[in-house]
Amino acid sequence: MFIQDYMTVNPVTATSDITIIAATMILGENSFRHLPIVDSDGVIVGIVTDRDLRSAWPSSIMSDGNKKAGLDLLSSTPVENVMSRDATVIRPDSTIDAALLLFESRGVGTLPVVDLQGRVVGIFSLKDMMAGYRRLFGLGEKGSALVCIEDNGEKLMLSSLVETLAENKILFTRLIRKEKSGGRPAMVYLRICSMNISFVRKVIEGAGFTLYHPVIDG
Amino acid sequence: MGKKQKIVVVTDSSYQLHDTGGGEHPETYARLEEIIAILSAGQLAGQIKIIKPRAATRTELIAFHPEEWLFRFEEAALAGQTYIDHPDNQISYESYLVAQVSAGAGLSGVDLIEEQLGEVVFCAVRPPGHHAEPTRPYGFCFFNNCVIAARYWQRVYGRTRLCIFDFDAHHGNGIQTACEEDPDLLYISIHEHPSFSYPGTGWENELGSGAGKGTILNIPLPPGSGDERFLQAMDGDVKKLLDSFKPDGIIIGAGFDGHLLDDMSGLRYSVDGYYAAGRRIADWSRLFCSGRLVSILEGGYHSGILGKCVESYLRGLGAEPLNEK
Repeated sequence: MFIQDYMTVNPVTATSDITIIAATMILGENSFRHLPIVDSDGVIVGIVTDRDLRSAWPSSIMSDGNKKAGLDLLSSTPVENVMSRDATVIRPDSTIDAALLLFESRGVGTLPVVDLQGRVVGIFSLKDMMAGYRRLFGLGEKGSALVCIEDNGEKLMLSSLVETLAENKILFTRLIRKEKSGGRPAMVYLRICSMNISFVRKVIEGAGFTLYHPVIDG
Repeated sequence: MGKKQKIVVVTDSSYQLHDTGGGEHPETYARLEEIIAILSAGQLAGQIKIIKPRAATRTELIAFHPEEWLFRFEEAALAGQTYIDHPDNQISYESYLVAQVSAGAGLSGVDLIEEQLGEVVFCAVRPPGHHAEPTRPYGFCFFNNCVIAARYWQRVYGRTRLCIFDFDAHHGNGIQTACEEDPDLLYISIHEHPSFSYPGTGWENELGSGAGKGTILNIPLPPGSGDERFLQAMDGDVKKLLDSFKPDGIIIGAGFDGHLLDDMSGLRYSVDGYYAAGRRIADWSRLFCSGRLVSILEGGYHSGILGKCVESYLRGLGAEPLNEK
């Protein structure tokens, strides 16, 4: 759930005095799209994206002479001229839920992770977030299966369900409740760790719960 | 059936010694009893010949399973443990020896095919194998019977390029592990979608890696899928990949828990669907590898329908070719 569990540690950073050409090379060589810019203490001062750098690049339809002049200018222009100074950052002890909200509200694709002093200690991308939720939901974990149960609306439904599973020694790793939405009923999703799905269904139905059987065709 | 092909069933009464503890455990010896009873008295009665398998040796097992797992498994059984790692994987005192004979059936089957081409060979075994990983059991499986047979076929008979086609309702994660980086071992699986089905693997984007990239084909079917989708997949992507891979031999992970009445999956295959699958598989084996085909039982748990599904599949294997190509 915490950023520090899913972030890339010790990310590549640069200082604001490197040139636009040098910053472009760093991104290209590492296949990155975001480069945190730091001061001599490693404290974040901005972020530059591949889009920022491309926008500074001479147009491909310029004459050769003008293009060369443009490139010469880039090779002496520091990256601080094109970087964003108000980088959206996140703390390592923050949650991936918080990162999701930042990605949505700020429209950014990557968050530098900084400590209390503002020093860059990691980087957290949309890809890292997907990988994080993948692990949280147990997607692809060997030895598990998803069971869908209709939500009966009772406040203690999840507690009752867990008690039923415990009484019957049924192992599970995830339990998620989805509210009713868009005409679709409320549902409980249970990731069980057993091949014996037949027994699991029997136990759940025997305790009075209603299983939802997704049927795509007949 | 026109030619009344002989059907060799490789099986052994010692399989009853693997005791899964009774109660609600669905993987029992009664499964094999039902299969043998129906094959012995049903439509195929005159064609059935039952042969005892041999036990797989340590050398043959370590082609997939490191010795550490062999020691752990044997020790757990002899120490009186009732399961290994998970209550699904119930064992008894004799389980290690029985699992050796279960793995050995595929080897006996390969020998039979190499010695007497033209026979249909079906290994009615337990415990099943396709979930077994190199160092740990999963989903009732301890030794990966299909993989051990494939490695034996490659090593002893030089049949290098092999395909394991698995139509059990569940994805064979252990077989996929063996094929992951191996360019000569093709794994094709049609199974219920891993969003809902054990073991949660077998996604379409799992294709193998390194030198083995492209030697894994997963075709997950949504819950509720019936014969139409099953056979469409076989006629489409499966056949296309076989056309390019051109196997020297085919091993079938034959699971029958995709039947409508089997509540271990949400698939809805029919008894006739297994006949149609059998005909296609027999066609492939004639087309690509002169009939070199061994089928090994995986899942199938419904008492009353499992035997009929197996009989139907074997009738399909022994039927006249669909395509004289």
